[in-house]
Amino acid sequence: MRTKNERAIIRIILATGVASVATQLLTIREFLALFAGNEFVIAVIFFNWLIIGGAGTLLAYRAADSFFRPSPIRLGWLSLLAAAMQPVNLLTIRLLRNVVFIPGSETGFYQTFVYTLLTTAPYSLLIGFLLPFSLFVIRRESPAYPGTTIYIMDNIGDVAGGALFSFVLLFIATPMQSIAFSGLILMVAAIPLLMPNRGVSVYLLTAAILAATTILTVPVFIEIRTLEVTGGNLVWYREARTGRIQVTHQADQYTLYLDGSPIASSYNLRQAEAAAHYPLCQRAHSERVLIISAVTGIMNEIKKHQPREIDYVELSPELAETMLRFNLIQKNDRMSVIHDDARAFLSRTKKRYDTVIMCLPEPDTYQLNRFYTQSFFSLVRKRLTENGVFSFMLMGFDNYPTEADRQKLSSVHNTAAACFPNITMIPGEDIFFLCGEKPLTTDIPTRLEQKGIKTAFIKDYFAGDVTHDRLAYLENMIDPDAPINKDIRPRLMRLMFARWFALFDTSPAFFYAAGGLILLGYLLFASRGEFILFSTGFANMATEILTIFAFQIFIGYIYYQIGLIVTVFLAGLLPGAWTGGHVRYHSRRTLMLLDGAIIMLTGFFAVAVITAETRLPAVFFLAYGFIFSFVCGFQFPVILHLFGDKNRQTSGAFTADLVGAAFGALLTSILLIPYAGLAGTAMAIIGLKTISLILIGVIHGTH
Amino acid sequence: MAPIDRRKFLKAGAAGVMLLCYGPPAAGFSLLGPKRATSGRDDISGQVFTGDAPEKPWKWSREAKHYEIFRGEQTVCGLCPNVCRLSPGDRGVCRSRVNIGGVMYTLSYGNPCAVHIDPIEKKPLLHFKPLSRAFSIAAAGCNFRCLNCQNWQISQARPEDVRHYELFPEDVVRAAEQSGSASIAYTYSEATTFFEYMIDTATIAHTKNLSNLWISNGFINPGPLADLCRVIDAANVNLKAYDDAIYKKLNGGRLQPVLDTFCTLHRQKIHFEITNLVVPGYTDDEKMVKKMCAWIVEALGLDHPLHFSRFSPQYKLKRLPPTPVATLSRFRQIAMAAGIRYVYVGNVPGHDGANTYCHNCKKLLIERNGYTFGAFNLKDGKCRFCGTPIPGVWV
Repeated sequence: MRTKNERAIIRIILATGVASVATQLLTIREFLALFAGNEFVIAVIFFNWLIIGGAGTLLAYRAADSFFRPSPIRLGWLSLLAAAMQPVNLLTIRLLRNVVFIPGSETGFYQTFVYTLLTTAPYSLLIGFLLPFSLFVIRRESPAYPGTTIYIMDNIGDVAGGALFSFVLLFIATPMQSIAFSGLILMVAAIPLLMPNRGVSVYLLTAAILAATTILTVPVFIEIRTLEVTGGNLVWYREARTGRIQVTHQADQYTLYLDGSPIASSYNLRQAEAAAHYPLCQRAHSERVLIISAVTGIMNEIKKHQPREIDYVELSPELAETMLRFNLIQKNDRMSVIHDDARAFLSRTKKRYDTVIMCLPEPDTYQLNRFYTQSFFSLVRKRLTENGVFSFMLMGFDNYPTEADRQKLSSVHNTAAACFPNITMIPGEDIFFLCGEKPLTTDIPTRLEQKGIKTAFIKDYFAGDVTHDRLAYLENMIDPDAPINKDIRPRLMRLMFARWFALFDTSPAFFYAAGGLILLGYLLFASRGEFILFSTGFANMATEILTIFAFQIFIGYIYYQIGLIVTVFLAGLLPGAWTGGHVRYHSRRTLMLLDGAIIMLTGFFAVAVITAETRLPAVFFLAYGFIFSFVCGFQFPVILHLFGDKNRQTSGAFTADLVGAAFGALLTSILLIPYAGLAGTAMAIIGLKTISLILIGVIHGTH
Repeated sequence: MAPIDRRKFLKAGAAGVMLLCYGPPAAGFSLLGPKRATSGRDDISGQVFTGDAPEKPWKWSREAKHYEIFRGEQTVCGLCPNVCRLSPGDRGVCRSRVNIGGVMYTLSYGNPCAVHIDPIEKKPLLHFKPLSRAFSIAAAGCNFRCLNCQNWQISQARPEDVRHYELFPEDVVRAAEQSGSASIAYTYSEATTFFEYMIDTATIAHTKNLSNLWISNGFINPGPLADLCRVIDAANVNLKAYDDAIYKKLNGGRLQPVLDTFCTLHRQKIHFEITNLVVPGYTDDEKMVKKMCAWIVEALGLDHPLHFSRFSPQYKLKRLPPTPVATLSRFRQIAMAAGIRYVYVGNVPGHDGANTYCHNCKKLLIERNGYTFGAFNLKDGKCRFCGTPIPGVWV
């Protein structure tokens, strides 16, 4: 039977889980809206969050043992503080960005790293601190209270918080509203521990509640004014699944921003003409045209070729709606807007197109990279008519490409060349790749003249900008040895990372060295049990990333289903930990079996994905995520039982789990997948878990 | 309510200080809509690269001009207003000038990393040998750090780190002649940083009746500029902002030396055109543009063509929108109202501001469709309608 105190503390743990996960997701979205949203940045945000959280759990043990004795009142105050810090955390990130950095500018890796670390540290440290501290408070009354229960309650809160945000709040509330809502839940949960009958002054409590409520609610009313607006007046703002959409109006121009970067603007003749006419002029007539995402003004240009049917596929309905609303994409009777993942759409459709025009951003995330792989190009080829043309663009260069640029372009070129017999590149601000079964021409103006199509930019500028010398320069710089980009071995990603570092004239070497030293230091001082939990935390996070990575490739970027994968990875831990806490035999053999299961599951996943590819149903990934995290969750209580469930060990276990997850997120995203591919990443997880297995095997003197 | 003791007071105080330091909603209220001029770093000027010079000169090195020896082995570069003081082993801000053993060398001589043949209108030079081609070369390096640099790949790189051709001055001139170009443009990166290479090439080019075009940020000291004026025929110099704070913040440069360059070119009667890139939120301020135009009229006169160029997100400045076309049109009107006779709008295909109109009779002289002409109403450098001489070189 739980005491009144225990019940109150369990409510706090649940509420902390809900609030912290909602805040974490909002924090990540905020960073993506303020900084370059490439995979490196995403991994670093996760890493910082988890590693600081891990430091918080360690601090909890040290503090509780010396200068900050656990008490329900202290837990209550800290929880109230955590609730109030949520909007402060988000506002700090948002407002300081343009104070610390030059407005309108992008920031390099180290600047982003330090900024994300410092701005999230206070909140994530406190959240990391709260979990073990809650346990220590309970243990003052019930010294044998199991750490596993806290672990389970925290996970229930996390699952609830993740689901609440991903499936409800994101669609009905702004970031500040979501923060206020989740913060109020935590505040309400904290109040019972601060009631006057515990010795807290009623005046102090009232003042604190009023202050926290004010801090939580005031930002809701000033939210619009806190948004970053880099040009003109903000006339449209939506938080969409794919990111923050804003539209500004200045003079005669509307500019649409996605996550702070301008992606469409009223006057865009150069790009619109090039994107439409370069491919469409190649053939006498295009009956059916497919556009994957779009650039401003492209519809007006496509219309000049009078196709019978235009399918416009846009992943984000909100983005397509905004483009149409501000006339950045012109409505057309022959155009059908399809809200779908383009890759999933192409896999399903039976239609064949004369021209496919892809206007996606640079492939600097795994989500985008899968549109520049051999499998995707082959898929497009299957959907083209015999005479069809596929075009896409990559960021160009004015006069000289860096080596990183050269390798990136070469890799994409070689990948396309592996699928199409004819490839032509046209240089400029954007480099256009034209691919087809039949030969393609670069004499675009002549073709357009023959077709009687009038243009402004191409007619007047093409000859001066796209000279024979520049065409030859681009052709000659292609490195035939550059790697082919494959779905399960996305080598283009590391070239994109290299390009990003080249842009800021920095190298990740120092970061790798520092991270490696921290990891080494941690592992040297970690106990055997902590190492096993570290490896499980690593494996769980790495597998989650790997599962999402594979799901996107073979099923598509389907927001709800990816949200479900994240949820099942959290949800599986619960029954796992519960079962682990209730089995009779907590032996070394059990632990070895669990590690063996992780190894086998990882191997099975790699083999299944590589062999079955698109034949795997979505439910496979969901079931896999659940089973995998079930096993990981199972390990937690077993390890606590084997290695001790005193405050020190419990705190160390929480830390090990978080540190493992932090390095799992980081290494999988930025090193393992780009360099070793899916199979190599699976091998790395198996390798790490094999070491863990060996360590368990040499444990002496246990049950 | 219980009286507060000293311990509680200190705790409460510490908590308050933590909250204020952590981040402020308090500060947040005053931060809403931060002013660009006061946000972020104020000065992004480059620094000397200590110990970054190669051990010895390479094949494409020459002893630099315009430097002095200081305290035995230190060298002080006099090429640009950065005035880099280099100890042996150091590399200058521009990345192309180094101190090796107490001697200053340029690492950019005969090793252009970009070589292209461009329409002269692309520089942009609209009043100099129209419709001709410019053999364009660049070596790596720049004395600025512009956040929106179009050629950052070479301007922010060391000469040793880029792929390059081998074209010594006489080779450049030969290649330019063979390509049928009317001129050689020193462009793309910052031409001043490969000064010796440019001067020597330009000197030979003159003997072959090729013109020399200096496309620059104008950040050069008077002495070297005087040397340059002897060999260049035309220039396009960027006036990035009429505000020293913006120069420091966006470009890592300073305004006054650039203004001095314009005055020198004007005095030396070099044909030059001025380009002003209109960056939203920074240089799209009407008051600033009015001041800039007033200065041009007063210091340089009415005849030097002025280009308002459209910004598009580039390099590190990718979170700003492109310049609205209406803003460029408005600035053109402001400049013409100030008295400047030839004001153009750049980077906007199809804009009326690409055409040349006679400042006297206001009739259309040159209708430009990109790099081609629709109409050409000049005869012997004069307006075909009213006979007014039009400034420029119209061969």
